[in-house]
Amino acid sequence: MDLIPTHGGYRNLKSFQVAQVVYDLTVRFCDRYIEKRSRKESIMIKLLIIALVILSLPMLTLAQKSRQAFAYDYTIDDLPNGLRLVTVPTDYPNLVALYIVVQTGSRNEPEKGKSGYAHLFEHLMFRGSEHYTGQERDEVLKKAGADSNAYTTDDRTVYHEVFSKDDLDRILELEADRFQHLKYSPDGYKTETKAVLGEFNKNSANPEEKLFEVLRATAYQRHTYSHTTMGFIEDIEDMPNQYEYSLQFYSRYYRPEYTTIVLVGDVKRDDALAMTKKYFGAWKRGTYVPEIPGETEQKEPRENHVDWPSETLPLIYVAFRGPAYSDYKKDKAALDLVAPLAFGENSDLYQKLVLQEQKVEELSYSFDDHVDPELFYVSAKVKDLKDVDYVRQQILDTYKRFSNEAVPQAKLDSTRSRLRYEFALSMNSSEAIASSLANYIGLRRTPLTIDKLFALYDTITPNDIRDTAHRYFVDSHRTIVTLNTKKEVAK
Amino acid sequence: MTRTFFVSSALIALVLFGIAFGNQIVESSATPTRFHNSMPLIDIADTNTVLLPNRSPLVSFRILFMTGSAFDPKGKEGLASLTASMLAEGGSRAKTYAQITDAMYPMATSFQWQVDKEMTVFSGTTHLDNLEKYYSLIREMLLEPGFREDDFKRLKEQAVNYLKNSLRGGNDEELGKEVLYTMIYPATHPYGHQNVGAVGALERMTLKDVRDFYQANYTQANLVIGLAGGYPEGFPKTVEADFAKLPKGKPTTAKFVFPRQALGTKIEIVQRETRSTAISLGFPITVTRADRDWPALAVIASYFGQHRSSNSYLYQRLREARGLNYGDYAYVEYFPRGMFQFQPDPNLGRRLQIFQIWIRPVEPQNGHFALRAALYEYDRLMRDGMSKEVFESTREFLSKYANVLIATQDAQLGYALDSRYYHLADFPTYMREQLAKLTLDDVNRAIKQYLKSDSMRIAIVTKDASGLRDAIINNRPSPITYNSPKAKEITDEDKIIETYKIVVKPTDVAIVLVEKVFE
Repeated sequence: MDLIPTHGGYRNLKSFQVAQVVYDLTVRFCDRYIEKRSRKESIMIKLLIIALVILSLPMLTLAQKSRQAFAYDYTIDDLPNGLRLVTVPTDYPNLVALYIVVQTGSRNEPEKGKSGYAHLFEHLMFRGSEHYTGQERDEVLKKAGADSNAYTTDDRTVYHEVFSKDDLDRILELEADRFQHLKYSPDGYKTETKAVLGEFNKNSANPEEKLFEVLRATAYQRHTYSHTTMGFIEDIEDMPNQYEYSLQFYSRYYRPEYTTIVLVGDVKRDDALAMTKKYFGAWKRGTYVPEIPGETEQKEPRENHVDWPSETLPLIYVAFRGPAYSDYKKDKAALDLVAPLAFGENSDLYQKLVLQEQKVEELSYSFDDHVDPELFYVSAKVKDLKDVDYVRQQILDTYKRFSNEAVPQAKLDSTRSRLRYEFALSMNSSEAIASSLANYIGLRRTPLTIDKLFALYDTITPNDIRDTAHRYFVDSHRTIVTLNTKKEVAK
Repeated sequence: MTRTFFVSSALIALVLFGIAFGNQIVESSATPTRFHNSMPLIDIADTNTVLLPNRSPLVSFRILFMTGSAFDPKGKEGLASLTASMLAEGGSRAKTYAQITDAMYPMATSFQWQVDKEMTVFSGTTHLDNLEKYYSLIREMLLEPGFREDDFKRLKEQAVNYLKNSLRGGNDEELGKEVLYTMIYPATHPYGHQNVGAVGALERMTLKDVRDFYQANYTQANLVIGLAGGYPEGFPKTVEADFAKLPKGKPTTAKFVFPRQALGTKIEIVQRETRSTAISLGFPITVTRADRDWPALAVIASYFGQHRSSNSYLYQRLREARGLNYGDYAYVEYFPRGMFQFQPDPNLGRRLQIFQIWIRPVEPQNGHFALRAALYEYDRLMRDGMSKEVFESTREFLSKYANVLIATQDAQLGYALDSRYYHLADFPTYMREQLAKLTLDDVNRAIKQYLKSDSMRIAIVTKDASGLRDAIINNRPSPITYNSPKAKEITDEDKIIETYKIVVKPTDVAIVLVEKVFE
């Protein structure tokens, strides 16, 4: 019985129960009506086995398919210019979600004084193109009832719209125009840089944004992850003077080889491909490949602190250097599992600090998928300044514990289950599917990486988790940042 | 051939079956489904259940109680909210909260709560595989609450910290919006306090208060059960029977008097150490989604300031043309947390709404100008109304956009519950039909009838409150400078805006220290 994993719950499965009934009936039939060791029994048995095996074969195929975490059929089409189209038809009616993923984010900003340009572009792309002014573009989208927006991360910029399926052709035409022929005047450019400053300003009211900025700047010294997506404030303030540079940025990265079009919803692949060829076929491949500086080896732990000018609960972030995203190396997958086990809502630490002792208002972790090695960090919002050191020690002890002890198998299994259900529950509309896909498209340009990643989770053992934690959670790779109300303001 | 061989061969076949279907437990979840029945099966008079069955592998719950912060007893502001949090983030009689999170963990489920003035909703979605387990948890949480001291202490602190730190100390925009509501509704009005409550009242609150509120408000009379997804036949009956254990009760009622405003503009400037200046302004309107004129007002708000969309007039004038800030929008319904989301949450049904303009943070030196620009554009809307062209395009947008609003089954369910509350057909059908009938005259008549400027309320969050107050009451010019040349049309208009008169008495411009807000 070792063939069947003990945690599979297979006895509850309909198929198992049906097979058991078939088996039992056959055995009883043989017992009752067929002479022992007769030829008939042998024939019956052979027939039964053949039947069961034949029945099982298509189910194996089905199993193969249902093993996939991303359970939708999709197609990938590559245009000669390097542009990729991923089409995912769903049964959700009427709507189409269009996500255009550009593999360029704040990671692609290695030049000094030039942080924040990937994000600035997310704005500039709405200011009009050769054949459509911003206003004309807005009118088309408005008539389509479209929800249209964009976002930028460290690794990618994503332009997305959801609209009625009948408007697909028109909207692809519109998108193709801005991706190939963006046009903005120096004056319009300067105006948009002010909107970016406005965005920085609105974020700046939030102490958590500030502390994250400081964490990044402290933990990274060479790599571009040292700045957030918004960029350094001095670079944002200098943006109005950098019109020429902005044109260069567009010409480098807004190229087909950096771009993937994702279409999810009430859409047919052949139509989508024909439209994509028609509107994006003439787009010229670029040549630029950025040199992203590797991060230097961290030799000792680092710390930093922020005095906040108004009332806030004290914050502490405890970070270690983690690995980059991978769908075949175990490190990233093992740490993905450590995160909820050690610091999630049902972890011992959470229960202790948040529920029992109630010294912490919020405890959470962050370890997103990234192209390059990313920080694994835990953040705590502490209720009382005097408890910050205690909380810090508790967090460090937890890191240590997971580096030294193997987690119980049952806990690991329920975490795996959680990750799978989490993913399944997030797939609740065409837009949600496209939005989940965008992350992986930004990393690997194919939904296949999702299945590989989830398959990798299945191979992780408690020892893998302990060993990986042991390798990554080392003092010399640690950065701790804190924030609290400055003394003059605190009562 | 031996029997042993037979048995082991059969077992291998069984294993193959097992593998085949074993994985399906989870992965079949993502199987796409057609929502073939999105029409709510409701009969407002007879049933307290709203069902949206479909073939999705997910099941969504929205358990709605027709109660909320409008029913907080006097001096106990925040009790409705604290009670709901005790149910959704506290233990049940049989399980501690830690045990509940433990049970939810492998299913990746959660139980959300939201308290507004008249509605309290608990919601969650589970995979069909886990329906029984999930439902038994939330059933216990709602019907047999644990009301433990340690949960109470934690959640009370959480509520106080939300007001003190998240709202007052970390989100100028939401702060400005919420202050605007407290300016419009006097403290004596059922709508007259923040949903989470007031710091002082929360600090005095006891566990007994929570028990009493639960007893009086969580009744069958206040209950509406909402279910959507691929739940098994008969499941709604089970849920109905379980919830029939709640006391019968009587519907919570309160007097919701229209908050007539004293004539004249009133301004509250919240003084806070911050980089920028956040502005919200508005006034109460007599129209809700239940009214004939609501679609007309929805068109007006969408045209003037569709939420988080560049496709709106105000956004084009303030952000696109002038680069004043990150965005500028308008609303005819309550829309909290707008900085974090693109679509409104359902189940915020209210009998009273306000018309609201949200000017996202501007640089402090442009605060006065931005306020004038918003008022100038608003006055222009009132004077000129909408043109045929923009009316047509906005109408087309809204009738299609209704589908985007209900893209998930959870949203469909939420909207169905709201439609029940407002006595409407299902939302997209209602919008399509009403918008098709709507004329430009209807919309321009609605502008004249409902949009006022004689009693505007304005909330501002900024650092130099007294400087701004001084500039406003003296109607000091507020010229704006740009980092790039602007079209003549804009600079000409700027000349009008920079001296655009805000008629307000000095006594009607108050400065409030941020520490005093929601105390």
